[in-house]
Amino acid sequence: MLEMKSISVPAGRLDFSEKMTGAAKFCQDLRPHGMFYAKTLRSSKPRAKIRAVRLPLLPDNVVIVDWRDVRGKNIVPIVTDDQPFFARDQVNYIGEPILVATGPNPDELRKIIDSIQVDYEELPAVLTIEEALSRTSDIIYGDHPWFVSYEYLKGDPDTAIHEAAISVEDEFHTGYQEQAYLEPQSMLAEQKDGVMTVRGSMQCPFYVEEALMQALGWERTRVRVIQLPTGGGFGGKEDYPSIPAVHAALAAIKTGRPVMLVYDRGEDIMCTTKRHPSCIRVKSHLDANNHIIAREIEVLSDAGAYCGLSGVVLQRMIYSVPGVYQVQNLRVSGRACATNKVPSGAFRGFGGPQAFFAIEMHMEHVAREIGVDPLLFRKTHFLRQGDLTATGGRLRSPVELEAITDSVCTLSDYYEKRSTPKEPGGKLRGIGFSAFFHGCGFTGADERDIISARVRLCKGEDETVNLYVSSAELGQGAITTLSKIAAETLDIPLSQVLCGYPDTGVCPNSGPTVASRTILVVGRLVQEAALKMKEHWDEAFCETESHFRYPGGFSFDKKLHTGDAYLEYAWGANVVEVEVDPITYSCNILGAWAAFDIGTPIDTTIAAGQVHGGMTQGLGYGCMEVLDMKAGRPLQCSLTDYMIPTSLDVCKIDFRFVQSESVLGPYGARGMGELTLVGAAPALAAAVENAIGKPVTQLPVTSEYIMELSRHG
Amino acid sequence: MDNAICFLLNNRSVTLQADPLRSLLDTLREDFGLTGAKKGCGEGECGACAVLVDGRLVNSCITPVIAVEGKTVFTIEGLRETPRFQELSRCFAQAGAVQCGFCTPGMVMAAEALLMRNSFPTEQDIRTALSGNLCRCTGYSAIVAAIMTAAKEGEGLWPASFDPGI
Amino acid sequence: MARVFRPGNLKEALHFLDAERAAVLAGGTDFMLKAGRYPGAEFAVLSIGHLHELKRIAIDAANVLSLGAVCTLSEILESPLVPLFLKLPIAEIGSPAIRNAATAGGNVCNASPAGDVLPMLYALDATLVLKSHGDQHEMQIRDFIQGPGLIRIAAGQMLTEIRIPLRQTWRCTWRKVGGRRANSVSKTSFYALIDRTSRGLGDVRIALGAIAPTVVRSREAERIILDAYRGKPSQRCTEIIALYDALISPIDDSRSCRDYRRTVSLGLLENFLTEVMRI
Repeated sequence: MLEMKSISVPAGRLDFSEKMTGAAKFCQDLRPHGMFYAKTLRSSKPRAKIRAVRLPLLPDNVVIVDWRDVRGKNIVPIVTDDQPFFARDQVNYIGEPILVATGPNPDELRKIIDSIQVDYEELPAVLTIEEALSRTSDIIYGDHPWFVSYEYLKGDPDTAIHEAAISVEDEFHTGYQEQAYLEPQSMLAEQKDGVMTVRGSMQCPFYVEEALMQALGWERTRVRVIQLPTGGGFGGKEDYPSIPAVHAALAAIKTGRPVMLVYDRGEDIMCTTKRHPSCIRVKSHLDANNHIIAREIEVLSDAGAYCGLSGVVLQRMIYSVPGVYQVQNLRVSGRACATNKVPSGAFRGFGGPQAFFAIEMHMEHVAREIGVDPLLFRKTHFLRQGDLTATGGRLRSPVELEAITDSVCTLSDYYEKRSTPKEPGGKLRGIGFSAFFHGCGFTGADERDIISARVRLCKGEDETVNLYVSSAELGQGAITTLSKIAAETLDIPLSQVLCGYPDTGVCPNSGPTVASRTILVVGRLVQEAALKMKEHWDEAFCETESHFRYPGGFSFDKKLHTGDAYLEYAWGANVVEVEVDPITYSCNILGAWAAFDIGTPIDTTIAAGQVHGGMTQGLGYGCMEVLDMKAGRPLQCSLTDYMIPTSLDVCKIDFRFVQSESVLGPYGARGMGELTLVGAAPALAAAVENAIGKPVTQLPVTSEYIMELSRHG
Repeated sequence: MDNAICFLLNNRSVTLQADPLRSLLDTLREDFGLTGAKKGCGEGECGACAVLVDGRLVNSCITPVIAVEGKTVFTIEGLRETPRFQELSRCFAQAGAVQCGFCTPGMVMAAEALLMRNSFPTEQDIRTALSGNLCRCTGYSAIVAAIMTAAKEGEGLWPASFDPGI
Repeated sequence: MARVFRPGNLKEALHFLDAERAAVLAGGTDFMLKAGRYPGAEFAVLSIGHLHELKRIAIDAANVLSLGAVCTLSEILESPLVPLFLKLPIAEIGSPAIRNAATAGGNVCNASPAGDVLPMLYALDATLVLKSHGDQHEMQIRDFIQGPGLIRIAAGQMLTEIRIPLRQTWRCTWRKVGGRRANSVSKTSFYALIDRTSRGLGDVRIALGAIAPTVVRSREAERIILDAYRGKPSQRCTEIIALYDALISPIDDSRSCRDYRRTVSLGLLENFLTEVMRI
């Protein structure tokens, strides 16, 4: 057992008390004087021209806001400029916003929204990836059925394939996953003295600020965004909040009132971003010694009606899909397909969960095909420190996959359980394993080229230190862990560091709260700013800043997809044991185990919270969380129908941290927020496969799917 | 029809004139400014709005205010003044049972409802008691552990009782 | 705004219903969802959740259990008078907060195909007491429930009591199949009772939930099962299952599909016949 570093010792959350007592003010808890409410009219068609919008006779105090009120640019600023804040003459998915009604009485607004008639001219909609790819005319986005298409090569796959002794091929499918944060999307906009202040539930205050500047056409000095306590994000509050923020702000300008826009749960599930459904084909080519000499992988994702973050998610999918394995020759391609459905977007893992499901199941299938123990087969291909990744980047920090695997297998008694013969007649038990990584921080050199993060520290005369970052506290403990890094570095008590919720009027832009970058990138900058401050500690007043510097020796070619795809990697392995009921085909999770290398944990209690929460979301993704579309409309638009695990569905989760220090992160820390979700579903799927003896190729592994497999397989 | 509704709110007698079908949640939040109970779904599915009515856990978002006529309503704002809350708070802090905090007030009320009826709960009892309170952050483990510790170390704070279950 | 009447007692309640058509509100767990869809709608509501006369749980001399219509599910679970074979299905409904508010009468009157109180009431030949101003009727539950959300209740009538004939010797098999372990609506459910006395098997009852517009129960099939058990070899398990197969008509919806519902429902039946009945 490693001795715990002092930075890892649990310090207690700084936001604990206000949340425990219920005193924390979330957006819905605010009620400024004279506040108006707002409700959104949404498209009921997956693809249609809007011929006319017929309003009922409106009361004097109800105001309608639509595309005409957008004085700036009616486009959400995120990577690709294609999604409007308000539909103008065409809608492209069910749930797309058309207008907002604002007034003093929310019940009245709901009635008004229900009585507005939209005259649609329906157009043939594209509802699946297959439809998108097979359509030859009436393409819905530009002149091809996808938003982005990537391909990269490593080595010489064609020659290697030619020399292969055996090839094994698989096709995998995964469904949507809804973030299901407990607090729905919420924004409060207020205009005062020519400045628009928007407060609300969000991960990325500077994204929201950018969106407001673009829609309103206002200078940065006239726009201010403040994050409020946020009831979970998980990616669902990365880019989406820009839309309700702009809607609320436009309503506030038009009415001269503070405007509160809070989504209903059904509305939130219907129209906000979700995890991309995917179809992934993997073909491995092996030599006569059972060694993989080449791989061909094709990834298709269902991006929905607008591109949004789909390109970046697809990058992470194609960089992750080769898995934790050293394969010299690769051909990997990916396309994010355009369909007339709610835009897919960011969700903890960001393409990783689909990718690792595919590659980990494929490794099981190949091992079975060639009659080798699947763990042994994996181990002979594990990546090691100093190796080149799929994109040819050097793994600079330690890679402890063997130790991680041994740790989780010992913890779970994997070998013993795996080799126990099945009892005939009774419930079917199975155990499964997965190994995975998560690349920390933005893709390639984007931390330098797009974000260029900054943080600031200020010491006052009373020796308290104010920490200014734009990292949002979403429950993951950002405020506490970043403050701990400052306190530890300055060698002062944690209580001497003050860090509030981010406010774009005060904080420098340290980037969005995404991509498992908060500790690795922002935490490192906090540490650097604190080190600078330490040198001037004796001065009465001291302010230090630090800026992101792209580390020496790193490089990435975005066009060729070669080089260091990520700054750092965090690693993990999961084991899940299940029992399948042979009558109801329901899958009962008996246990879940994990080992993670997140480098040095910055607070073991907070890190444990990430493990339990992330794995629970991953297990939900694996077997329970179903979101189907029928004619472009989500079928499960409530928390009864869209099922996330309850306290009775979660089994005991036991885990260990294998700590190898990152060369980049503060105190040797890597990223961890997303890593914890990534491996649970593949381990669960492998366990079901082990239990029923039929190959699993689809997520979620529902009872209905297990029935189908058991019958036909 | 007289729409005056009287009940005991956090040990204080209150009367209000309201639509009898208005939800208890809206009443608490808007008429009394008690914003500890949250609206997570408005359909009784998530438990973020949970409060105690005559000592029992209910989802205030689907409780019409007329249903609490003559009853006692207890919210996180009332509970937080008690020594039982201090114990729960200590245990929640230690276990790391709070993340985003949105489900927390409802979760704490569910813990209180359980411990008032069953001061020696098993892990299964706790998981059952929390099964209508969704949490998307913690995976529940830390919350269950916190309540277990509170029951053990807070002996005497809750009336000694044992729920035999069914 | 809805006009809501909160009567002081049952008599006042029935008097009110006699005078006007009103929606009846008990625990509110379903009512509030439906009311929320019509904000500001004008309708009359009779609120009865507080009436002590409708909260009685008792067993009479003929061993008939009487459950007041507004007994909450939690109150039923906590009553020492209620046998385990009634508590098992109730313990799996919703969540603690739902069970603290939802009532037995509400679950009956909602007449949802997935209502988990219903299969056992069908199996136990429960009768419903329907009162109106100056009148009282009893009706079998299978006659009362006509289809999803459809019940046979006359103007002025109110469900006041559920009457369930008990036998100490009933042994029950219950399986709820949902998408998760709490807070889930049944995809399908299986409820069966057997009465095994010293002289052998006295009776068998089987009710299947969530696989047809109403609960499926067949006395004819139950007679055949009894015969099969008593050694008439002509009736085999597969034929009994085929009988039920013809009676069910499951649907596809947001929670599951007809194929799964049919397969699992009949699978649970088969398991019961072979493992419990040993046919």
